[in-house]
Amino acid sequence: MDKLELKNIVEALLIATPEPLTEARFQQSISEDTEVDIPLKDIIELLQEEYADSGRAFQVFEVAGGYQLVTRPEYESYVRKLFARSTKLRLSQAALETLAIVAYRQPVTRVEVDAIRGVNSDSPLRTLLERKLLEIRGRDDGPGRALLYRTSTEFLQYFGLQSIKDLPQLKEVDQLIPEEDQNLV
Amino acid sequence: MSIRESYRIDLEMFEGPLDLLLFLIKKDEVNIYDIPVAQITRNFLEFVEMAKELKLHTAGDFILMAATLMKIKARMLLPVEEGTDEEVEDPRSELVNMLLEYKRFKEAAFALGEREHQQRPYFYRQAGAPPEETSDPGGLLEDIKLYDIMLTFKYLLQNYEEPAMHAVELEEVSLSEQINFILTRLETDPKLRFSSLIERFQSRLVIVVTFLAILEMLRAQQIKVRQTKLFDDLIISRGSVIGQA
Repeated sequence: MDKLELKNIVEALLIATPEPLTEARFQQSISEDTEVDIPLKDIIELLQEEYADSGRAFQVFEVAGGYQLVTRPEYESYVRKLFARSTKLRLSQAALETLAIVAYRQPVTRVEVDAIRGVNSDSPLRTLLERKLLEIRGRDDGPGRALLYRTSTEFLQYFGLQSIKDLPQLKEVDQLIPEEDQNLV
Repeated sequence: MSIRESYRIDLEMFEGPLDLLLFLIKKDEVNIYDIPVAQITRNFLEFVEMAKELKLHTAGDFILMAATLMKIKARMLLPVEEGTDEEVEDPRSELVNMLLEYKRFKEAAFALGEREHQQRPYFYRQAGAPPEETSDPGGLLEDIKLYDIMLTFKYLLQNYEEPAMHAVELEEVSLSEQINFILTRLETDPKLRFSSLIERFQSRLVIVVTFLAILEMLRAQQIKVRQTKLFDDLIISRGSVIGQA
Protein backbone atom coordinates (compact mmCIF):
# COMPACT_ATOMS: atom_id res chain seq x y z
CA MET A 1 0.00 0.00 0.00
CA ASP A 2 1.42 3.42 -0.85
CA LYS A 3 1.84 6.29 1.50
CA LEU A 4 -0.87 8.37 -0.12
CA GLU A 5 -3.47 5.71 0.45
CA LEU A 6 -2.37 5.25 4.05
CA LYS A 7 -2.62 8.97 4.60
CA ASN A 8 -6.20 8.90 3.34
CA ILE A 9 -7.05 5.99 5.60
CA VAL A 10 -5.70 7.80 8.65
CA GLU A 11 -7.62 10.90 7.64
CA ALA A 12 -10.83 8.87 7.41
CA LEU A 13 -10.18 7.35 10.83
CA LEU A 14 -9.55 10.79 12.31
CA ILE A 15 -12.82 12.10 10.90
CA ALA A 16 -14.80 9.17 12.27
CA THR A 17 -13.19 8.50 15.63
CA PRO A 18 -15.12 9.52 18.74
CA GLU A 19 -11.97 9.37 20.88
CA PRO A 20 -8.24 9.83 20.32
CA LEU A 21 -6.93 7.54 17.57
CA THR A 22 -4.18 5.44 19.08
CA GLU A 23 -1.47 3.46 17.33
CA ALA A 24 -3.22 0.27 18.51
CA ARG A 25 -6.59 1.22 17.04
CA PHE A 26 -4.90 2.29 13.82
CA GLN A 27 -3.16 -1.09 13.55
CA GLN A 28 -6.47 -2.81 14.29
CA SER A 29 -8.16 -0.89 11.45
CA ILE A 30 -5.55 -1.82 8.86
CA SER A 31 -4.82 -5.32 10.15
CA GLU A 32 -6.06 -6.94 6.95
CA ASP A 33 -3.56 -5.03 4.84
CA THR A 34 -0.48 -6.73 6.13
CA GLU A 35 2.33 -4.81 4.52
CA VAL A 36 2.23 -1.67 6.59
CA ASP A 37 5.34 -0.78 8.48
CA ILE A 38 4.97 2.98 8.72
CA PRO A 39 4.16 4.15 12.24
CA LEU A 40 1.03 6.22 12.70
CA LYS A 41 3.16 9.10 13.96
CA ASP A 42 4.83 9.51 10.54
CA ILE A 43 1.53 9.52 8.68
CA ILE A 44 0.13 12.07 11.11
CA GLU A 45 3.13 14.27 10.37
CA LEU A 46 2.32 14.12 6.65
CA LEU A 47 -1.28 15.13 7.33
CA GLN A 48 -0.19 17.88 9.69
CA GLU A 49 2.09 19.35 7.01
CA GLU A 50 -0.60 19.10 4.39
CA TYR A 51 -3.15 20.87 6.59
CA ALA A 52 -0.70 23.63 7.41
CA ASP A 53 0.43 24.12 3.79
CA SER A 54 -3.07 24.24 2.40
CA GLY A 55 -4.30 26.53 5.19
CA ARG A 56 -6.97 24.25 6.59
CA ALA A 57 -9.08 25.40 9.53
CA PHE A 58 -8.11 22.37 11.58
CA GLN A 59 -5.03 20.53 12.76
CA VAL A 60 -4.10 17.28 14.45
CA PHE A 61 -3.67 17.28 18.23
CA GLU A 62 -1.61 14.72 20.09
CA VAL A 63 -3.70 13.94 23.15
CA ALA A 64 -4.43 11.15 25.65
CA GLY A 65 -2.05 8.77 23.93
CA GLY A 66 -3.53 9.27 20.45
CA TYR A 67 -4.51 11.80 17.81
CA GLN A 68 -7.59 13.90 17.27
CA LEU A 69 -8.63 16.71 14.97
CA VAL A 70 -9.17 20.15 16.48
CA THR A 71 -10.19 23.48 15.01
CA ARG A 72 -7.52 26.18 14.76
CA PRO A 73 -7.59 28.80 17.54
CA GLU A 74 -8.22 31.64 15.04
CA TYR A 75 -11.75 30.36 14.57
CA GLU A 76 -12.57 30.09 18.25
CA SER A 77 -15.15 32.90 18.28
CA TYR A 78 -17.15 31.40 15.41
CA VAL A 79 -17.12 27.88 16.75
CA ARG A 80 -18.02 29.14 20.21
CA LYS A 81 -21.13 30.81 18.80
CA LEU A 82 -22.10 27.54 17.21
CA PHE A 83 -22.31 26.15 20.73
CA ALA A 84 -23.75 29.36 22.14
CA ARG A 85 -25.94 27.72 24.71
CA SER A 86 -23.92 24.72 25.65
CA THR A 87 -20.40 26.12 25.99
CA LYS A 88 -19.00 24.78 29.16
CA LEU A 89 -18.15 27.19 31.90
CA ARG A 90 -14.62 27.35 33.18
CA LEU A 91 -14.01 25.26 36.24
CA SER A 92 -14.34 26.91 39.64
CA GLN A 93 -11.43 27.26 42.03
CA ALA A 94 -12.91 24.47 44.18
CA ALA A 95 -13.21 22.18 41.15
CA LEU A 96 -9.64 22.88 40.02
CA GLU A 97 -8.24 22.17 43.49
CA THR A 98 -10.21 18.94 43.72
CA LEU A 99 -9.11 17.93 40.24
CA ALA A 100 -5.47 18.68 41.05
CA ILE A 101 -5.60 16.50 44.17
CA VAL A 102 -7.21 13.60 42.29
CA ALA A 103 -4.81 13.96 39.36
CA TYR A 104 -1.68 13.75 41.49
CA ARG A 105 -2.91 11.35 44.15
CA GLN A 106 -5.17 8.98 42.26
CA PRO A 107 -6.85 6.72 43.06
CA VAL A 108 -8.12 8.75 45.96
CA THR A 109 -11.15 8.81 48.28
CA ARG A 110 -13.32 11.79 49.07
CA VAL A 111 -12.03 11.84 52.64
CA GLU A 112 -8.45 12.23 51.41
CA VAL A 113 -9.49 15.13 49.17
CA ASP A 114 -11.37 16.76 52.06
CA ALA A 115 -8.35 16.40 54.34
CA ILE A 116 -6.04 18.23 51.97
CA ARG A 117 -8.50 21.01 51.12
CA GLY A 118 -9.74 21.38 54.70
CA VAL A 119 -13.34 21.53 53.48
CA ASN A 120 -16.01 19.16 52.25
CA SER A 121 -15.52 18.42 48.54
CA ASP A 122 -18.78 16.64 47.72
CA SER A 123 -20.06 19.34 45.46
CA PRO A 124 -16.93 19.84 43.28
CA LEU A 125 -16.55 16.04 43.01
CA ARG A 126 -20.11 15.79 41.75
CA THR A 127 -19.58 18.57 39.21
CA LEU A 128 -16.41 16.89 37.95
CA LEU A 129 -18.16 13.52 37.61
CA GLU A 130 -21.00 15.12 35.69
CA ARG A 131 -18.50 16.77 33.36
CA LYS A 132 -16.80 13.38 32.98
CA LEU A 133 -13.41 14.75 34.01
CA LEU A 134 -13.38 12.28 36.87
CA GLU A 135 -14.65 8.76 37.16
CA ILE A 136 -15.26 6.30 39.96
CA ARG A 137 -13.00 3.30 39.77
CA GLY A 138 -13.80 0.75 42.42
CA ARG A 139 -13.65 1.01 46.16
CA ASP A 140 -11.03 1.38 48.81
CA ASP A 141 -10.13 -1.76 50.76
CA GLY A 142 -10.19 0.15 54.03
CA PRO A 143 -13.11 0.43 56.42
CA GLY A 144 -16.23 1.88 54.86
CA ARG A 145 -15.09 0.77 51.38
CA ALA A 146 -15.07 4.38 50.16
CA LEU A 147 -15.39 5.11 46.43
CA LEU A 148 -12.12 5.75 44.62
CA TYR A 149 -11.83 8.65 42.19
CA ARG A 150 -9.55 8.87 39.15
CA THR A 151 -9.13 11.20 36.22
CA SER A 152 -10.67 10.16 32.89
CA THR A 153 -9.63 10.27 29.23
CA GLU A 154 -11.82 13.38 28.97
CA PHE A 155 -9.59 14.96 31.61
CA LEU A 156 -6.56 14.48 29.35
CA GLN A 157 -8.47 15.89 26.38
CA TYR A 158 -9.80 18.86 28.34
CA PHE A 159 -6.32 19.91 29.42
CA GLY A 160 -4.57 18.82 26.20
CA LEU A 161 -2.38 16.24 27.92
CA GLN A 162 -0.79 13.14 26.41
CA SER A 163 -0.87 11.30 29.72
CA ILE A 164 -0.98 11.97 33.45
CA LYS A 165 2.82 12.03 33.40
CA ASP A 166 2.61 15.24 31.35
CA LEU A 167 1.40 17.14 34.38
CA PRO A 168 4.08 19.37 35.85
CA GLN A 169 5.78 17.94 38.91
CA LEU A 170 4.21 18.96 42.18
CA LYS A 171 6.51 21.46 43.81
CA GLU A 172 8.56 20.09 46.62
CA VAL A 173 7.89 21.71 49.96
CA ASP A 174 11.17 23.64 50.09
CA GLN A 175 10.39 25.26 46.73
CA LEU A 176 7.28 26.78 48.24
CA ILE A 177 9.29 28.83 50.69
CA PRO A 178 11.07 31.89 49.37
CA GLU A 179 14.88 31.94 49.80
CA GLU A 180 15.04 34.50 52.58
CA ASP A 181 12.52 32.57 54.68
CA GLN A 182 14.50 29.37 54.32
CA ASN A 183 17.35 30.99 56.17
CA LEU A 184 15.07 31.43 59.12
CA VAL A 185 14.31 27.75 59.38
CA MET B 1 -10.34 49.70 61.29
CA SER B 2 -10.58 45.96 61.25
CA ILE B 3 -8.89 44.03 58.47
CA ARG B 4 -12.12 42.82 57.05
CA GLU B 5 -13.25 46.42 56.56
CA SER B 6 -9.89 47.67 55.35
CA TYR B 7 -9.55 44.86 52.83
CA ARG B 8 -13.23 44.48 52.04
CA ILE B 9 -12.68 40.81 51.94
CA ASP B 10 -15.46 38.49 51.21
CA LEU B 11 -15.18 35.18 52.98
CA GLU B 12 -16.64 33.45 49.98
CA MET B 13 -13.44 34.33 48.15
CA PHE B 14 -11.72 31.63 50.16
CA GLU B 15 -12.00 27.96 49.48
CA GLY B 16 -11.84 27.16 53.17
CA PRO B 17 -9.98 27.81 56.40
CA LEU B 18 -6.60 26.71 54.99
CA ASP B 19 -6.97 29.10 52.08
CA LEU B 20 -7.84 31.93 54.47
CA LEU B 21 -4.87 31.11 56.71
CA LEU B 22 -2.50 31.18 53.74
CA PHE B 23 -3.90 34.56 52.82
CA LEU B 24 -3.41 35.94 56.34
CA ILE B 25 0.15 34.58 56.45
CA LYS B 26 0.99 36.19 53.12
CA LYS B 27 -0.69 39.48 53.99
CA ASP B 28 1.31 39.88 57.20
CA GLU B 29 4.46 38.58 55.50
CA VAL B 30 5.11 36.15 58.31
CA ASN B 31 7.28 33.06 58.09
CA ILE B 32 5.11 30.01 57.60
CA TYR B 33 7.45 27.98 59.84
CA ASP B 34 7.18 30.52 62.63
CA ILE B 35 3.58 31.63 62.60
CA PRO B 36 2.72 34.24 65.25
CA VAL B 37 -0.25 32.26 66.47
CA ALA B 38 -1.83 34.97 68.63
CA GLN B 39 -1.90 37.51 65.82
CA ILE B 40 -3.09 35.08 63.14
CA THR B 41 -5.77 33.69 65.46
CA ARG B 42 -7.09 37.17 66.17
CA ASN B 43 -7.36 37.96 62.45
CA PHE B 44 -8.82 34.56 61.68
CA LEU B 45 -11.56 34.94 64.30
CA GLU B 46 -12.74 38.16 62.69
CA PHE B 47 -13.49 36.18 59.58
CA VAL B 48 -15.19 33.45 61.49
CA GLU B 49 -17.58 36.00 62.97
CA MET B 50 -18.43 36.99 59.44
CA ALA B 51 -18.92 33.37 58.44
CA LYS B 52 -21.46 32.99 61.20
CA GLU B 53 -23.31 36.11 60.08
CA LEU B 54 -23.38 34.89 56.51
CA LYS B 55 -24.51 31.45 57.63
CA LEU B 56 -22.12 29.96 55.12
CA HIS B 57 -22.40 26.23 54.80
CA THR B 58 -18.65 26.07 55.35
CA ALA B 59 -18.89 28.01 58.64
CA GLY B 60 -18.34 24.76 60.55
CA ASP B 61 -14.95 24.22 58.88
CA PHE B 62 -13.88 27.74 59.83
CA ILE B 63 -15.03 27.32 63.43
CA LEU B 64 -13.16 24.03 63.71
CA MET B 65 -9.98 25.72 62.50
CA ALA B 66 -10.50 28.57 64.97
CA ALA B 67 -10.67 26.00 67.77
CA THR B 68 -7.47 24.35 66.50
CA LEU B 69 -5.70 27.71 66.44
CA MET B 70 -6.77 28.47 69.99
CA LYS B 71 -5.59 25.07 71.13
CA ILE B 72 -2.18 25.67 69.54
CA LYS B 73 -2.03 29.13 71.13
CA ALA B 74 -2.72 27.63 74.54
CA ARG B 75 -0.06 24.95 74.10
CA MET B 76 2.49 27.55 73.08
CA LEU B 77 1.92 29.31 76.42
CA LEU B 78 2.77 26.21 78.43
CA PRO B 79 6.33 26.21 79.69
CA VAL B 80 8.53 23.57 78.10
CA GLU B 81 9.50 21.08 80.75
CA GLU B 82 13.22 21.19 81.25
CA GLY B 83 15.47 18.26 81.83
CA THR B 84 13.60 15.98 79.46
CA ASP B 85 15.75 14.62 76.72
CA GLU B 86 13.06 14.02 74.18
CA GLU B 87 12.60 16.58 71.49
CA VAL B 88 9.52 18.66 72.18
CA GLU B 89 7.46 19.05 69.05
CA ASP B 90 6.40 22.53 68.04
CA PRO B 91 2.62 22.61 68.57
CA ARG B 92 2.31 24.36 65.21
CA SER B 93 4.04 21.73 63.10
CA GLU B 94 0.96 19.71 62.19
CA LEU B 95 -0.84 22.82 61.01
CA VAL B 96 2.22 23.98 59.06
CA ASN B 97 2.37 20.65 57.24
CA MET B 98 -1.30 20.90 56.35
CA LEU B 99 -0.81 24.43 55.06
CA LEU B 100 2.18 23.45 52.93
CA GLU B 101 0.36 20.44 51.50
CA TYR B 102 -2.66 22.56 50.65
CA LYS B 103 -0.42 25.23 49.13
CA ARG B 104 1.14 22.68 46.75
CA PHE B 105 -2.25 21.66 45.42
CA LYS B 106 -3.49 25.23 45.25
CA GLU B 107 -0.53 25.97 43.00
CA ALA B 108 -1.16 22.82 40.97
CA ALA B 109 -4.80 23.93 40.62
CA PHE B 110 -3.62 27.31 39.37
CA ALA B 111 -1.44 25.59 36.74
CA LEU B 112 -4.43 23.48 35.64
CA GLY B 113 -6.51 26.64 35.33
CA GLU B 114 -3.84 28.12 33.04
CA ARG B 115 -3.87 24.99 30.90
CA GLU B 116 -7.64 25.11 30.74
CA HIS B 117 -7.38 28.65 29.46
CA GLN B 118 -4.76 27.68 26.84
CA GLN B 119 -6.96 24.85 25.59
CA ARG B 120 -10.10 26.94 25.32
CA PRO B 121 -9.68 28.06 21.68
CA TYR B 122 -9.39 24.48 20.43
CA PHE B 123 -12.47 22.42 19.67
CA TYR B 124 -12.24 18.69 19.12
CA ARG B 125 -13.89 17.06 16.18
CA GLN B 126 -16.92 15.46 17.80
CA ALA B 127 -17.72 12.26 16.04
CA GLY B 128 -20.33 10.17 17.78
CA ALA B 129 -19.73 6.46 18.15
CA PRO B 130 -21.71 4.49 15.55
CA PRO B 131 -25.03 3.10 16.78
CA GLU B 132 -24.84 -0.22 18.53
CA GLU B 133 -25.13 -3.22 16.27
CA THR B 134 -27.35 -5.86 17.75
CA SER B 135 -25.27 -8.66 16.27
CA ASP B 136 -22.29 -7.55 18.28
CA PRO B 137 -22.95 -8.01 21.96
CA GLY B 138 -19.48 -6.79 22.91
CA GLY B 139 -19.95 -3.30 21.52
CA LEU B 140 -18.01 -0.16 22.19
CA LEU B 141 -20.24 0.99 24.98
CA GLU B 142 -19.56 -1.70 27.47
CA ASP B 143 -17.42 0.64 29.43
CA ILE B 144 -20.17 2.46 31.27
CA LYS B 145 -19.34 3.80 34.64
CA LEU B 146 -21.00 3.11 37.96
CA TYR B 147 -21.89 6.78 38.16
CA ASP B 148 -23.74 6.56 34.80
CA ILE B 149 -25.77 3.63 36.07
CA MET B 150 -26.74 5.54 39.21
CA LEU B 151 -27.73 8.61 37.19
CA THR B 152 -29.79 6.49 34.84
CA PHE B 153 -31.56 4.84 37.71
CA LYS B 154 -32.38 8.19 39.28
CA TYR B 155 -33.70 9.35 35.93
CA LEU B 156 -35.82 6.25 35.36
CA LEU B 157 -37.22 6.48 38.85
CA GLN B 158 -38.21 10.10 38.31
CA ASN B 159 -40.21 9.11 35.28
CA TYR B 160 -41.89 6.31 37.08
CA GLU B 161 -45.36 7.04 38.32
CA GLU B 162 -46.60 4.90 41.08
CA PRO B 163 -50.02 3.60 40.11
CA ALA B 164 -52.84 4.74 42.35
CA MET B 165 -53.65 1.93 44.73
CA HIS B 166 -56.56 1.37 46.98
CA ALA B 167 -55.63 -1.42 49.28
CA VAL B 168 -52.35 -1.01 51.10
CA GLU B 169 -50.35 -4.11 51.76
CA LEU B 170 -46.81 -4.56 52.84
CA GLU B 171 -44.91 -5.98 49.94
CA GLU B 172 -42.42 -8.69 50.61
CA VAL B 173 -39.36 -8.41 48.47
CA SER B 174 -35.82 -9.55 49.02
CA LEU B 175 -32.55 -9.06 47.23
CA SER B 176 -31.95 -12.75 46.56
CA GLU B 177 -35.49 -13.08 45.25
CA GLN B 178 -34.87 -10.30 42.74
CA ILE B 179 -31.50 -11.77 41.75
CA ASN B 180 -33.24 -15.06 40.96
CA PHE B 181 -35.93 -13.18 39.11
CA ILE B 182 -33.35 -11.43 36.92
CA LEU B 183 -31.50 -14.72 36.28
CA THR B 184 -34.77 -16.35 35.22
CA ARG B 185 -35.64 -13.50 32.92
CA LEU B 186 -32.16 -13.62 31.36
CA GLU B 187 -32.76 -17.21 30.33
CA THR B 188 -35.57 -16.21 28.02
CA ASP B 189 -34.25 -12.77 27.16
CA PRO B 190 -30.44 -12.62 26.90
CA LYS B 191 -30.58 -8.87 26.28
CA LEU B 192 -32.87 -7.78 29.00
CA ARG B 193 -33.86 -4.15 29.21
CA PHE B 194 -34.18 -2.57 32.63
CA SER B 195 -37.41 -0.88 31.60
CA SER B 196 -39.02 -4.16 30.59
CA LEU B 197 -37.73 -5.77 33.76
CA ILE B 198 -39.55 -3.31 35.97
CA GLU B 199 -42.58 -2.57 33.86
CA ARG B 200 -44.97 -4.76 35.80
CA PHE B 201 -43.77 -3.77 39.24
CA GLN B 202 -46.26 -1.96 41.34
CA SER B 203 -44.06 -0.07 43.74
CA ARG B 204 -40.93 1.97 44.01
CA LEU B 205 -39.62 -0.33 46.72
CA VAL B 206 -39.58 -3.33 44.39
CA ILE B 207 -37.84 -1.28 41.69
CA VAL B 208 -35.21 -0.09 44.14
CA VAL B 209 -34.55 -3.62 45.36
CA THR B 210 -34.34 -4.82 41.75
CA PHE B 211 -31.79 -2.12 41.04
CA LEU B 212 -29.79 -3.15 44.11
CA ALA B 213 -29.92 -6.70 42.79
CA ILE B 214 -28.41 -5.47 39.53
CA LEU B 215 -25.58 -3.71 41.37
CA GLU B 216 -24.94 -6.81 43.44
CA MET B 217 -24.89 -9.03 40.34
CA LEU B 218 -22.56 -6.60 38.57
CA ARG B 219 -20.20 -6.80 41.49
CA ALA B 220 -20.30 -10.59 41.38
CA GLN B 221 -19.83 -10.42 37.57
CA GLN B 222 -22.98 -12.43 37.04
CA ILE B 223 -24.21 -9.84 34.56
CA LYS B 224 -22.93 -7.11 32.29
CA VAL B 225 -24.73 -3.83 31.87
CA ARG B 226 -24.52 -1.68 28.78
CA GLN B 227 -26.19 1.46 27.59
CA THR B 228 -26.12 3.32 24.27
CA LYS B 229 -26.02 6.77 25.83
CA LEU B 230 -26.46 8.44 29.17
CA PHE B 231 -29.98 8.10 30.61
CA ASP B 232 -30.74 5.46 28.02
CA ASP B 233 -32.18 2.17 29.06
CA LEU B 234 -29.80 -0.27 30.72
CA ILE B 235 -29.27 -3.45 28.74
CA ILE B 236 -28.51 -6.42 30.95
CA SER B 237 -26.78 -9.54 29.71
CA ARG B 238 -25.07 -12.52 31.30
CA GLY B 239 -21.63 -12.00 32.75
CA SER B 240 -18.68 -14.29 33.13
CA VAL B 241 -19.98 -15.95 36.29
CA ILE B 242 -22.92 -18.23 35.66
CA GLY B 243 -25.58 -19.02 38.20
CA GLN B 244 -26.02 -17.91 41.74
CA ALA B 245 -22.91 -16.47 43.36
